[in-house]
Amino acid sequence: MALLEVKDIRKTFTQKRKPPHIVLENLSFSVERGQYVSLLGPSGCGKTTLLTMLGGFMSADTGQIYLAGKKVEGPGPDRGFVFQNYALFPWMTVQENILYSLKVQNFNKREREKRLQELLDISHLHGSENKYPIQLSGGMQQRVAVVRALASRPEILLLDEPLGAIDFQMRELLQEELAALVEEAQTTVVMVTHDVNESVYLSDRVIVMSANKGRIIKDMYIDLPRPRSRQSQAFKEYVSELTELVRQAFREGGSYRQADIPARDRGVDNNFVASYNRMHSRYTNVANGRSRAVK
Amino acid sequence: MERHGSTIPDVGNARLSLGDAFDKYRGSFYTLIVLVILMIIWNLAANKIQNTLLLPYFSETAMEFITAWGDPVIMFNLGLTLKRVFTGFLYAFIIGVPLGLLMGYSATAMQSLAPLMNSIRQVPIMAWVPLSIIWFGLGDGPTVFLIAMSAVFPLAINTIAGVEGIDSNYYNAARSMGASRRDLVRDIVVPGAMPNILTGCRLAMGAGWMSVICAEFIATSAGFGFLMVEAQVRLETAQLYALMVMSGLVGYAIDKVFVAFERKMTSWRFKDGFVGS
Repeated sequence: MALLEVKDIRKTFTQKRKPPHIVLENLSFSVERGQYVSLLGPSGCGKTTLLTMLGGFMSADTGQIYLAGKKVEGPGPDRGFVFQNYALFPWMTVQENILYSLKVQNFNKREREKRLQELLDISHLHGSENKYPIQLSGGMQQRVAVVRALASRPEILLLDEPLGAIDFQMRELLQEELAALVEEAQTTVVMVTHDVNESVYLSDRVIVMSANKGRIIKDMYIDLPRPRSRQSQAFKEYVSELTELVRQAFREGGSYRQADIPARDRGVDNNFVASYNRMHSRYTNVANGRSRAVK
Repeated sequence: MERHGSTIPDVGNARLSLGDAFDKYRGSFYTLIVLVILMIIWNLAANKIQNTLLLPYFSETAMEFITAWGDPVIMFNLGLTLKRVFTGFLYAFIIGVPLGLLMGYSATAMQSLAPLMNSIRQVPIMAWVPLSIIWFGLGDGPTVFLIAMSAVFPLAINTIAGVEGIDSNYYNAARSMGASRRDLVRDIVVPGAMPNILTGCRLAMGAGWMSVICAEFIATSAGFGFLMVEAQVRLETAQLYALMVMSGLVGYAIDKVFVAFERKMTSWRFKDGFVGS
């Protein structure tokens, strides 16, 4: 049996004085242990909605999700979730953030200390454990978010556009970091992205979802050796094939707009993302080697 | 550094620079200039009016101000008033913060309590004076009550705003890591709302300090406000001015203490030169 089973999911958003909007219908797929799967699709194809349901933050109208044979009914530490804006607790240090899941699950001090060292090792965050998130660059924040989600050894890691808020130059670098981190942790991953290049670079398997009710229009295995080279001919072929599929997925969508979904159902607070990004643009600038903004 | 393309002449800091030591005290220096100008205007006006009952000379007021700090009667009454303010603030804190946390966190609590709270806080604070005297008699009782009454709303409202402003993904993140409801309150709700709670404390303290003096005009025969009424009755205008300046400065000092406390309590907001609201 596969690690993750998604069966016949249907999800509809209803708003007053508007016809109900079917986001996902008859959606089924499964993920094997150890696989890195990307959900790729144009905005509005329901990929983030699906991930939010995998996380247990939202329930499906009909259909079931099983993780390791257990039905998913609400959030839990068997799934590590990395939010688009990382959602690091700004009032906790890096160490407190990373160890939060162990703290609330009452692991003893020795276990926590041991796990902290392991996680700092794989994320190369030694020396930053007592800093606050606001003092970190975008890339370091990402690593903290990933190892925080990994801390209690979840069955699966769920990534919601983990690089969505990062600007283009930083992206490729952080994709490399993410690939190394996930490889070292040896975990199963489901990642939502709209970036074709990113999905080919990171995944074993890419599922392309259509803007029309989230129909799966392609389930493609990326058969490339790791670490991958973006320059290779095979890589470029995957990218161009998937790019064409995403275009097709977009055309299927009709007149759908993101704004039609009520904010509470979008899974992320977009206003917050915008303000968070403004607040942190200074740090990403620094990380890009640009000069520090004038105080 | 080598430059490419168009060059912008580097004029450096265009402001007049008088050295680092001066830059550090720039703000204080400007404040001092404003004070000196005010003093000159004051003396010119006093010269023009020639009536110390309406407007005593600056020097006279300044003398009163300086002697006031050594006057045991004034200091005793100032201490009394401060004690009342802190007692009233404490009551307001004990009621306002939990109330705000509850109303910010629970939609049910918000819906049931908000109309009541929003109408009670429209009642002018001085309108509570007659009732508070009936309830508590004269003395400490009504003043403490009035301070608590004027401080509780800024505290509750800011706490509500603080809780409501917490990103829902913080809750989601915590729950996905296995946090219980108690963990959420302790680790997300309280620290997430803390910046607003502390702002609420500042506003509440300010409101309390302002209302205590009014309350003491009426409801008691001791305290800083009572001294002001006394000065007025004895036609000691210079002393009245001095007491007013004192009340302003004491309020300012309390606020400064709260700002320092705020920075200490939420130091995570002020790391690496980042300055919050």
